[in-house]
Amino acid sequence: MKQRILFSTLPAALVAAAVLLAPLPSAGQAKAKAAKATKAAPAPKGPDISGIWQVFATSTASSVEPHSPALGIQAGFGVITDPADGKIPYRPEARAKQQDNFKNRAKLDPLNKCYMPGVPRVMYLPFPIQILQTPKTVVLLSEYAHTTQNIFLTGQHLDGLELWMGDSRGRWEGNTLVVDVTQNNPDTWFDASGNHHSEALHVVERFTRSGPDTLQFEATFDDPKTYTRPWTMRLTLMRHQDPNYRLLEYDCNAYMEDEGGAK
Amino acid sequence: MKSTTQKSLLSLVVALTAAVVMFLAPTPGSGQDAPAKGGPPGGKGGVAPGGAKAGGGKGAVKGGAFGPDGPYYQAPENIGGPPARTPDGKPDMTGYWTPRMNRAIFEIQGKQGAIVDPPDGMLPYTPAALAKKNDLKKNHMFDETEAHCFQSGVPHSAYQQFGYQIQQTPSFVVLMPEYAHSYRVVPTDGRKHIPADVKLFMGDPVGHWEGDTLVVETTNQNGKVWLDMEANFTTNAIHVVERFTMVDKNQINYEAIITDPTIYTRPWKIAGNLGRHDDPNYELMEFACHEGNIDLQHYPESEGGTAKAKAK
Repeated sequence: MKQRILFSTLPAALVAAAVLLAPLPSAGQAKAKAAKATKAAPAPKGPDISGIWQVFATSTASSVEPHSPALGIQAGFGVITDPADGKIPYRPEARAKQQDNFKNRAKLDPLNKCYMPGVPRVMYLPFPIQILQTPKTVVLLSEYAHTTQNIFLTGQHLDGLELWMGDSRGRWEGNTLVVDVTQNNPDTWFDASGNHHSEALHVVERFTRSGPDTLQFEATFDDPKTYTRPWTMRLTLMRHQDPNYRLLEYDCNAYMEDEGGAK
Repeated sequence: MKSTTQKSLLSLVVALTAAVVMFLAPTPGSGQDAPAKGGPPGGKGGVAPGGAKAGGGKGAVKGGAFGPDGPYYQAPENIGGPPARTPDGKPDMTGYWTPRMNRAIFEIQGKQGAIVDPPDGMLPYTPAALAKKNDLKKNHMFDETEAHCFQSGVPHSAYQQFGYQIQQTPSFVVLMPEYAHSYRVVPTDGRKHIPADVKLFMGDPVGHWEGDTLVVETTNQNGKVWLDMEANFTTNAIHVVERFTMVDKNQINYEAIITDPTIYTRPWKIAGNLGRHDDPNYELMEFACHEGNIDLQHYPESEGGTAKAKAK
């Protein structure tokens, strides 16, 4: 209890420290910057993948592996293209954990606590995604719990963090946006069947415009603590056709409070 | 879920540390015991350096440039020349911005608020609405909405202290506050508002350009958010028109006119500005507000949580 309270006061203390450390700019610096002429912003690189997209294969949210129906689980063929059997190449103890997760999914699924879904679960939840492109970033906005995946086309990976949505660095390889996602925390699942990973997870996502109204999404997963080898999923997102379509809201945590708070 | 909870708190601390990094950027002044005003559970509290002038075109504030009456955050005064233009000729607001709206984040009205009209800086409440606000303030402060990690609503998100990223494309201007990874997608393609039955925390923004000014009209808010930490509540009848005008590459002048005849006797207006973040390598960080805050279930009610005291 005490520890938690300390956590919440820590940021205030850090701010106070930051105030004392703030450097002073000189007037000369400001003037020098003012003298620089501005130039027109460049257009975004790469093909246009912007728009509002959604996965048609809704069973992917139930499980990324081939699976039978169950309570709250829609049957599906899975989306794993490698290995050829369509199953996640778990280490034995990791498979046991997945099976335990599945049995206790009502209690353990992080989405039932309204946590951010993580990467790449956000891609195939039954909520639309809007992609926006600017020269330095590709932003992915999900209607689910206003979750964002901010893909930076610049800079280096952060280090030593665990983030719900990871740290995404993207680059264009021909017509494909390749996104390297690290710094994933171990608390997210891939689907409602308890498919999981550790903090060692490294995801490489590939976005390719495969047609006027389709976007191919591929992701390769490497996590030696959990899997015996890397594995890959592939799925297709469809473009919403109504030009006036827009993301609405699913503010999960607020509705959970309406129903009596976190359990 | 203990480990998850700890990780959540870590995420929150990380996010707040990022906010600290933001404050570490050069400021016009430094070295001030900023007046601490208690933040809500979830650690949104914190204080920042004051600056020489209040935002919103208000005059110099009492107590000196960095005194307790100074603005909550004063981003660097870095005149950047004329704004860059997007390929379609609009002023390019893409980047990271810090709101400079006095201390509206704590209290929108009064001498430290951001209200420029009415001239007394006070919300023009009807008597019934004022009574409701006073009751909330006296008896229901635990309902303060950002303490529950609800999205800020509009115009609150425009002066939310953690700042925001703006993304601009020919069809959309997207405002992405760092707080609670919230976002507002403002279409500028001439579309109409969504049906009135759909109510949202962030409402439905529709934008258009008037010359170099982005005008955003927001309707469809759900009335579940407050304007500040002083129980200045809203209703789902709130109507907001905001104007974003780049005065140079590094500053956007901001104003908003708020109308809600169900609780105000007249429209009112706030004004201030947004300063571009100085560090070219600055990036938005993940702010896992709810993930950390869900831990409220473990706090006793006496400390602002939701856990009932155990019977002896």
